[in-house]
Amino acid sequence: MSNVVVLDNGAGLMKAGIGGERDPTAIVPNSMGRPLSSKKWLMAEQLLSPDVDLTSATVRRPFDRGYLINPDLQSSLWSHIFSNLLKITPSHSSLLLTEPLFNLPSIQRSLDEIVFEDFNFKALYVSDSPSLVHLYEASRRPYGLVSKAQCSLVADCGFSFTHASPVFQNFTLNYAVKRLDLGGKALTNYLKELVSYRSVNLMDESFLMDDVKEKLCFVSLDVPRDLQIARKPGKDNLFRCTYVLPDGITNTKGFLKDREEPKRYLSLYDKAPQQVAGEQTDTDQLDNSEDRNRSNGSKIDLTKNEFGLTNERFLVPEMMFRPADLGLNQAGLAECIVRAISSCHSHLHPVLYESIILTGGSTLFPHFAKRLEMDLRPLVPDKYRLKITTQEDPILGVWRGGSLLASSPDFDAMCVTKAEYEELGSARCRKRFFH
Amino acid sequence: MDEEMSNSARRMSLRTRKIAPKMAAALASSDNRTQAMLARLDALESDNAVVEPQLLDDDDEASLDDEDQVFHKKYPKGTKRKTRQAKALENKRAPKSFLELLNEANLESLPPHVPTYLRAAVGPPSSTSRRHFCTVCGFSSTYTCVQCGMHFCSIKCKAIHNETRCLKFVA
Ligand SMILES: [Zn+2]
Ligand SMILES: [Zn+2]
Repeated sequence: MSNVVVLDNGAGLMKAGIGGERDPTAIVPNSMGRPLSSKKWLMAEQLLSPDVDLTSATVRRPFDRGYLINPDLQSSLWSHIFSNLLKITPSHSSLLLTEPLFNLPSIQRSLDEIVFEDFNFKALYVSDSPSLVHLYEASRRPYGLVSKAQCSLVADCGFSFTHASPVFQNFTLNYAVKRLDLGGKALTNYLKELVSYRSVNLMDESFLMDDVKEKLCFVSLDVPRDLQIARKPGKDNLFRCTYVLPDGITNTKGFLKDREEPKRYLSLYDKAPQQVAGEQTDTDQLDNSEDRNRSNGSKIDLTKNEFGLTNERFLVPEMMFRPADLGLNQAGLAECIVRAISSCHSHLHPVLYESIILTGGSTLFPHFAKRLEMDLRPLVPDKYRLKITTQEDPILGVWRGGSLLASSPDFDAMCVTKAEYEELGSARCRKRFFH
Repeated sequence: MDEEMSNSARRMSLRTRKIAPKMAAALASSDNRTQAMLARLDALESDNAVVEPQLLDDDDEASLDDEDQVFHKKYPKGTKRKTRQAKALENKRAPKSFLELLNEANLESLPPHVPTYLRAAVGPPSSTSRRHFCTVCGFSSTYTCVQCGMHFCSIKCKAIHNETRCLKFVA
């Protein structure tokens, strides 16, 4: 039996490995970057090396707004991971590839061309992400509701966008899918803006800000209360954290000044939210600016190359829940899910509300699922139960579903072979992948 | 007035290439607030704060050639790919943006029952109430800039807003 290469080709990260295995061999950026001091472009995992100084590095990605726009760049990155990381021979392998929902026909053609003409893969199967997430969750709990009812609502907060997708009998119900144009990338950029306006100009530091976001951001369960705490001076400000910038000599990466500092706020979250929500928020706005600036970074010594974060820690993920409050006129995640479910047959509503699966890197912020539940409950009829499951590993969920599918006995029959592609062309082959 | 128009048209030209015609029309509108919002979405999607490197850069070939050699050692059948990449390097124009590809796909012409990228957009929220955060310091804000629509909370933050970011995305 030959290998099946499973490639979850995300706009942010490529997850690549061999079908049947539990985890992918490679989880690497789907990008090239060029450090300031270098002429050489670094590919994928080379960007993750601890020795590389990515300060003000230039980034190039094959994806724009979640869709492939630069097939040549993608092809270079694939060839790099196939030969250096997976060490496979495409002409002896089949490929299970993920593509975004509603991929454009012109992009599908370029993808097929790369797969069959550049790499000579033996056979190809293309899947969307929600059906693979569903498959994986259903297989993990064969007697659970997702598996028995054969349906789920997959909320995938990816790099470029977020989709709420109902899945029924292993197929994504495309007509009911709703998309929010916000993902991890927008959140990093928003954090970059906030910090750059408020303390140090870090507009060129995407890699650094990704790290800050992953280490410090969390989802607030009580925004007015937390804003109030965030303006307190000194030790009473439970959110204040200091992040140290790389100096390029002793440190090429940034780091937290005090590793315990980010956890201080958790004392608030151990209590029930109601108990601590007593503080009032309507202070007179104009008189407070002095105090506010003190708690907000203006006293930071720039020569020390560090900056402080307070309310940014939760205002950034807040964007997913209330984009309109932050200047983007879209419904938030809870309403996105409600609209997707409402577009399905009413028989499916109760079981979909009870089978919400969260996946994607941006669901990793602490308290994400809890907040989603708080936002959803008032929008969902009382007679329906609400159950939100977070994937064990939200970054790998899609890949693991793909790995399962690739090792199923039916897989070969589901693929399009190179000979079929050559005979029928891209468009007709594509019809096989969807019902 | 005319001169101002042509200036802004020139400024726009770089950006327009990257934006579908419909959005470009909105961008060219005289409404600063609409412009500011569209530019904001664009900024949140951008990879580099600086200009796209491939437009300026002549050093790319050296590094990509290394990669090519690795490729050809491992995959001798990749000749077709080489010509594609060589072509891509020769004409250094940036690849089409997604919005350009979307526009070319002409999804509006599909019958209404076909699910598409455009029809999957979640759309505006049903509630029109908004919490406003000061764009300078992040705390609740009660004031709106008459020029650009961004929010600020105090005289101090208004001053910073005017100095550093009012209409920054538009200019
Ligand atoms: Zn303010
Ligand atoms: Zn303004």
